[in-house]
Amino acid sequence: MKTFARCFAGAAALAITAGYAAAQDKAPISWWYENASPANQDHLKSLVEKAFNDANSGQQLTIDFRGSELDKQLRVAMLSGSGPDVVYTPGPSYVAAMAQAGQLLPLDDYAASLGWNDRILPVFLDLGTYAGKLYALPKTYETLGLFYNKTLFAEKGWTAPTTILELEALADKMLAEGMVPFGAGNADWRPTNEHYVSIVLNSIAGPDNMAKALNGEIPWTAPPFVNAIDTLNKWWQAGYFGPDYFSLTGEQAFAQIATGKAGMAPTGTWNFANAQTYFPANNAEPGFVGFPSAEGVPYPIYALGIGSTFSIAASSKNPDGAASVIDYVFSNDFYGTMNTVWQGEWNTPLKDLSGVKLGDGVMPLYGEVMADLASSVNANQYGYTTWTFLPPATNTYLVSGIEEVWLGQTTTQDFLAKLDATFQQEKVEGKVPAIPPRN
Amino acid sequence: MHRLYLLPTLAINVVVILIPACLTIVLAFFRWDGISSPHFVGLGNFVALWDDRVFWRALTNNIIWTAIFLIVPIAMGLLAATMLLVVRRGRTFFQVVYFLPVIIATVITARVWQGMIYSPVTGVFGLLDRMGIPIVNPLSQPSLALFGVATVDLWHWWGFLCVIFFAALRQVPAEQIEAARLEGATFFQMMRYVLLPGIKPTIILMMIMTVIWSFLVFDFVYILTQGGPASSSEVLSTLAYRDAFYNLNVGRAAASSIIISLFGLVATFFYIRVQSKEGEA
Repeated sequence: MKTFARCFAGAAALAITAGYAAAQDKAPISWWYENASPANQDHLKSLVEKAFNDANSGQQLTIDFRGSELDKQLRVAMLSGSGPDVVYTPGPSYVAAMAQAGQLLPLDDYAASLGWNDRILPVFLDLGTYAGKLYALPKTYETLGLFYNKTLFAEKGWTAPTTILELEALADKMLAEGMVPFGAGNADWRPTNEHYVSIVLNSIAGPDNMAKALNGEIPWTAPPFVNAIDTLNKWWQAGYFGPDYFSLTGEQAFAQIATGKAGMAPTGTWNFANAQTYFPANNAEPGFVGFPSAEGVPYPIYALGIGSTFSIAASSKNPDGAASVIDYVFSNDFYGTMNTVWQGEWNTPLKDLSGVKLGDGVMPLYGEVMADLASSVNANQYGYTTWTFLPPATNTYLVSGIEEVWLGQTTTQDFLAKLDATFQQEKVEGKVPAIPPRN
Repeated sequence: MHRLYLLPTLAINVVVILIPACLTIVLAFFRWDGISSPHFVGLGNFVALWDDRVFWRALTNNIIWTAIFLIVPIAMGLLAATMLLVVRRGRTFFQVVYFLPVIIATVITARVWQGMIYSPVTGVFGLLDRMGIPIVNPLSQPSLALFGVATVDLWHWWGFLCVIFFAALRQVPAEQIEAARLEGATFFQMMRYVLLPGIKPTIILMMIMTVIWSFLVFDFVYILTQGGPASSSEVLSTLAYRDAFYNLNVGRAAASSIIISLFGLVATFFYIRVQSKEGEA
């Protein structure tokens, strides 16, 4: 028995040291990713993990798929200092709280040495700052606009609307033809509601007013916002969203504009992936324009959304490795290869997209829209999506509050009053992300 | 010496159950966002809940849910269990069929109902609607959403009660059933005078557990409607979950959790009282 115990201990010690020695060759970098379909997981493994590891022999990147519970797992792990090296957060409002708690590494040195200050759009460098230091950069940024079926519009002799009045007139025509004007559905993702609230706040109340409210200069109960929410409610009561809004998933709703059941889809650029799936199959061509603006608001306003951000954990043992992973993602080559297979999720915030080559299978519309968006953002013609710029509890209330307005359980005034109260409370607690100054 | 055998289980209980439970109770009196450090607010979280319209809606929904589950699945379970007692052949087959929904993962059950039954596009309801029968997806109507979710949970749950009641019924002494049959009792008289009184402790236990579980209900509500539309199907646990993980307000979530536990404690108190009375009898 004693001999056996000694042999076992010896073998174990050997195994551990051997493992340790082997690990010394490559510095590990961990990156926890959220949900991805099996096809997209393969893309990440080949285009990110393998490609990066091949190009950087001293580093070993591992992407770990944590599913939709990522942000909760991340929060707990970061609290205990055992999180991943590359921190993938669901947006700037969470970054403020994490930076405040000292969980993130300042990125200013990397931004200077790796050239991010020159390659990334300036507004995003501002957005990721907290207390004067850079903590996060967007992995993808997105915007809201109006998708429509170009083929169907040509058949019916319709043109894409550029003003709110044109939009409403077109929607009424669609209703008369038995079509649902807005292809929309929140059955699988209830926060879809925030897309429509963001659209009306930006295109009707205007981004200047939003900036003032986000900075605390005017309350959210001010008349421009009342007008915006009243208009959204008017569209709901008129039946523009159709009878099945609560029953359709986002994908089902978007597919309806390809089949002709719905007329337009006011939604985000992440739906380009769905456009690629459904339009060619229905022999139709998609169109995308900026959402029409109200009188007095410039056209178009591209409301900026940051889907997710990159940071480096303060407790990371390989911050240089993590920085080089982020640097790899922010390259033109990577933009080209990744966006060829997976549109809408990897719109990295590069200032200059002219050097990017997208593959043949990608719709030319996608490349045009992304380039247009980048130049609009560079020219400060952008707006504020609620999920990126509003603090967490305020945005969560917005999602269920607007349903109460739509279903007649509360008034616009009461909804905005509670929104404002929640916002002011969170502003006091320092949870509002940094708002870059508008020109 | 033999008391040392208790140590491992005691250690697990203390670490996994007792300490987090105590921490939750303490956190209910603090304001904490889960990231920075907590600060004391006394009864502030409870006051915030008292003033919140959605909290009262959630509490009402939990009470409605309890009422539904105290009546429907228990009645269905009892009826089916007594039928199983009467039937000789096919007993095992029926038990398996009734119990199958219980063992399917709740996520899958919820998605199947959402996509294959309720959906106006891909589901049976949509098919009926297109055939001319005007039927709406209950999950999209504020007045029906809670009942739509309850139906799915009922379909998932009643088989469990049926199997439990059947096992209890088989413990009723055979002489009593024989005696009743010899005296010419009908099926309903047998149920009323022999079978149901015979399994009274089991029925009471299941009712108490139903009360406790009804205040804990989470998964079906969260997967099917997430408390919507417009908070019409909100329950206390989805409220607590959203507070803790989306609103970064762990203190308020802990306060909601304490309220859930209070209802469970009341039910447990009644159960222990009933148990001790039985013991004396």
